[in-house]
Amino acid sequence: MLILGIDTSTDILGLALMESGQLKGEYNLSLKRQHSEKLLPLIEEIFELLGFEAGNLDGIAVAVGPGSFTGLRIGITTAKMLGRIFSIPVKGISTLEILAAGAEGNYLLPLLDARRKRVYYSFFQRMENELFLKAINKAASAGISELPEILSKYQDQEISIIGEKTAEVKEVLAKNNFRVRVFRAEKNHPRAAVLARLGEDYLKSGQADDIYQLKPAYLKIPQAEINWQQKYGSK
Amino acid sequence: MSYKDKIKDKDQDIYILALESSCDETAASVNKNGLEILSNVVSSQVDLHKKFGGVVPEIASRKHLELLLPVIDQALAEAGVEFEDLDAVASTYGPGLVGGLLVTLTAAKTISLALNIPLIGVNHIAGHIYANFIANPEIEKPLICLTISGGHTDLLYFEDLRGYQILGRTIDDAAGEAFDKISRFLGLGYPGGPAIEKAARSGDRDAIDFPRADLGDSYDFSFSGLKTAVMNHVHNEEQRGNEIDQNDLAASFQEAVVDSLASNLIKAVREYKVESVVISGGVAANQRLREVIAERLKEHNLELYYPPLELCTDNAAMIGAVAYYQYLEQDFAPLSISADPSLKL
Ligand SMILES: [Zn+2]
Repeated sequence: MLILGIDTSTDILGLALMESGQLKGEYNLSLKRQHSEKLLPLIEEIFELLGFEAGNLDGIAVAVGPGSFTGLRIGITTAKMLGRIFSIPVKGISTLEILAAGAEGNYLLPLLDARRKRVYYSFFQRMENELFLKAINKAASAGISELPEILSKYQDQEISIIGEKTAEVKEVLAKNNFRVRVFRAEKNHPRAAVLARLGEDYLKSGQADDIYQLKPAYLKIPQAEINWQQKYGSK
Repeated sequence: MSYKDKIKDKDQDIYILALESSCDETAASVNKNGLEILSNVVSSQVDLHKKFGGVVPEIASRKHLELLLPVIDQALAEAGVEFEDLDAVASTYGPGLVGGLLVTLTAAKTISLALNIPLIGVNHIAGHIYANFIANPEIEKPLICLTISGGHTDLLYFEDLRGYQILGRTIDDAAGEAFDKISRFLGLGYPGGPAIEKAARSGDRDAIDFPRADLGDSYDFSFSGLKTAVMNHVHNEEQRGNEIDQNDLAASFQEAVVDSLASNLIKAVREYKVESVVISGGVAANQRLREVIAERLKEHNLELYYPPLELCTDNAAMIGAVAYYQYLEQDFAPLSISADPSLKL
């Protein structure tokens, strides 16, 4: 089973090819706003380097955010089109789950910067003998100062914090007597290999997405809609 | 990429899938040899943006992503064509809203990579012009073309269909932009072109003598002075406590825009010896504009061509028509092509 993992949700462009549980190759490149220019040339390159072609693919895993909406649409469009053309399954995976799945610990708090002292977060539990992490809290945004309250039930557990703003979050949690674990640089961004591996696991267990419904994890309604609702009420 | 040996020449049938998502229409079409349109699917989001009084980029981009596959599926099905039958794939890459442009541009890149066929990046404005040639394939050259929409006002000279010369363009607002702004100002709604035209039908176009921009010898256009004049007129009348006839105002404003456009066009017709005159773009749907230009062309024994309504608004067939001529020139784009929101002709 040949899986292509595509992640354009953050500044890092992630691409990985995984063949039946074996990593064939992986790019994690900090390209900022160049995803549109670089994604397809890099897909072409990774196929060429590893001796595959797009037609060999058996499935796609794509990061669905949270993240930059424009970046996400680039990756998701690519995944949808490949899925459609080759009639292969596609699985959208939360960027937060990719972060969590790549780190150690039984309670995992992946984070992405949402600016203004806020973060996008999820809270996962790693269960013995379970293939997938269990989402205790689904992806949402919160003020960093609100996290101790949100996680209050888990004060006795060691919590792994992974991703962006980890120093700030660690400080707030430690101050509130949480036990926290942080990681070195390489674990603090979503890795394409983890995405591709998750994709293979999900697709093998039959959990594909409908490519016609697949979309980014929009955790925010558009600003124009917010303004309109403030003016006229929700409708 | 190794599609080079697959490139066909003019004598063979060439099938192109074209995609468009630069504003608030998600569109896909399949054509055969450029001007033969096998399918032309347009999914408009206009109702979605109505309440905001204009296109909201983020909302448009979300919708483009949602409509992408259904629109492509329908275009292929109506044309009776499979992905494998395609010789090339094209997408608009500018001008327009960058978030929207990236949806079909990325899709086209993926199709190009997956099927190993050439990728063609098309200028949206060129699309509006070539919409004319779909409707009137036998149009005689050389010709003058006036292309007018919400994003552009360009006067062009075509020796043949493979190249053109820009004679003049707007130095401030595009004509369609002026319609939108005045329509919003008068509370007539969005989109502004049809709203103003509707109100103008029951108004007196000579009621108010609005200024026409005088840009000397150039073929350029300007509408910001007119916009200010309309706003000043309304403020002055309100201060005097006079009631304003919306319809008269709309008709007089429309007449000033139409007159500016027609005058420049006729000036160009006098100077360049042309066989045909065409108008294109969203504003070319304006009946009063067509009437005035056709009337003034009579003394030059020239007929006015314009695309049918369904080709005036944004669509993918027009993108595919341009793409065919680019295909013949082997004017292909690399997979690294990026969207250019302010792309010029
Ligand atoms: Zn247009």
